[in-house]
Amino acid sequence: MLEATKRSDDAAAVVNDDAVRAALAQHLSRISGRRTEIVSFGRKSSGFSWITYAFVARSAAEADRKLILRVGPPSGLFAPYSVLPQVYALQALANSGVPVPALVSSEQDGAEIGFPFFICAHVEGDVPAPWAANELDPDHKRDIARQFVEILASLHRIDPGATPFASLQQGEQRAELRAISGWRASLARPTARYYPLLDWGGRWLHDNCPQPPRRTIVHGDYRIGNFIEHERKITAILDWELTHLGDPHEDLAWAMMPTFNARSRKLYGVLERAEVIDLYQRASGIAVSNKSLAFYEAYALYQAAAIQMCAVRAFEVDRFNDMRLAVMASQMPSIVRAFERALEAAA
Amino acid sequence: MSASFERLIDGIIDALQSHVVPNSSDDFVRGQVFSAIYALNGLKLAADWKAAPLLEQVRLQDDTFAAVRRLADGLVQPEIPATPRTQGDMPDVAAIEALRDDGDRRLGQLLLWASGEGARAVNGDVATEIEHLLRRAICDQLKIELATTPKSMLQQIAGGERDGGAAPG
Repeated sequence: MLEATKRSDDAAAVVNDDAVRAALAQHLSRISGRRTEIVSFGRKSSGFSWITYAFVARSAAEADRKLILRVGPPSGLFAPYSVLPQVYALQALANSGVPVPALVSSEQDGAEIGFPFFICAHVEGDVPAPWAANELDPDHKRDIARQFVEILASLHRIDPGATPFASLQQGEQRAELRAISGWRASLARPTARYYPLLDWGGRWLHDNCPQPPRRTIVHGDYRIGNFIEHERKITAILDWELTHLGDPHEDLAWAMMPTFNARSRKLYGVLERAEVIDLYQRASGIAVSNKSLAFYEAYALYQAAAIQMCAVRAFEVDRFNDMRLAVMASQMPSIVRAFERALEAAA
Repeated sequence: MSASFERLIDGIIDALQSHVVPNSSDDFVRGQVFSAIYALNGLKLAADWKAAPLLEQVRLQDDTFAAVRRLADGLVQPEIPATPRTQGDMPDVAAIEALRDDGDRRLGQLLLWASGEGARAVNGDVATEIEHLLRRAICDQLKIELATTPKSMLQQIAGGERDGGAAPG
């Protein structure tokens, strides 16, 4: 195993890109049985969680392959990571109605790289930024938004029992409640700033969580910006790290959060809420409950608050030097207020 | 725990030294950055958060505690601190912040109590009234924090936009 992480002063561990590249070459050489060279290697994202690299794998035996590497670093916001949900997603959804990149390789124990990773095919196209939506033709956006809803419906139509996702069901506790419990525990860590409304609201969510109309695969971060589009078609749904079993309303509520739609109440700034629900119901066969949707709109804000607090903790306690994390702390009052209003609507 | 002033300054200095300086070959820009770092080091020695917004939150919490005490007359509730909790001038920002954080925890305990089955069983109407009072007061406290929060620049921050400009507070 190569030294792919290093520590500088007392700051959080950082990933050494050169070491990752060398380890990647070793890994691909081993699994293919022929010497593989890594060219055009570079980070594609500057996110807080999984790190994404784009590269070309070159060997004498076959044509160059454009691939993507995603690694879950020990310094990431939600570390320690499991690669399994993403691997299950790419395996289970290959050749389904949900477009995903083809999985090439994965290692939960880190193998040559040293921490969980997977490699998948590069998919041609662009990732739209929610706030850049105003620059696009509205008809184009409507096409994409409708596909976005139809793909979500396809995901929720899949029987998870017939996929590797079935193994994600642990113990007797309902999957939806386990997710709420996880965020409550995260917010209750003693070094985090205490917000009374989050404490009280977390209990309310736990005590009032509705029964799902059916338990489905939930993407967990299904929003504008987490897919690739090419020539007016969505060619891949990305970022499956939070995927789990749960209530399909969760994805629908998350996707419609104004935060992910350039502050618009319309999906991608073009599809009215009623239109989204109607399209989703027809495509999925799942009846949308207004009460459940209101519950998951509140839950979405609760989850957003918990994620922000992870960022605050990473900056303050773990001394991870990224000023974007510090900025996230300043968003807390507005998120908590919005959460309180959403709870009022859901009660 | 709020973002500590010193930690924030350290983070800004590190961001400038680690990311801006190495990527700037323009002597004028580098001079500007080093001057900013010098000024930030000065701020770290001489400045801190403003005390007034924190004090305003503590006083609002005290008013809320007093109101809950009046309403909860006869009900067994989590301990409510004696108010006012501040006496005269309180120049130590860290002490005020600790009071504010302690007040938040106590408000949370009261809110969980008022919305719980025990308080509802004893006197549902009063418990509901206290719950609503607490939620309103906590939201009012958040408004004080919002008043000291600059306008969002998340779009520029996430996208690293060059022409985003500065968003005034």
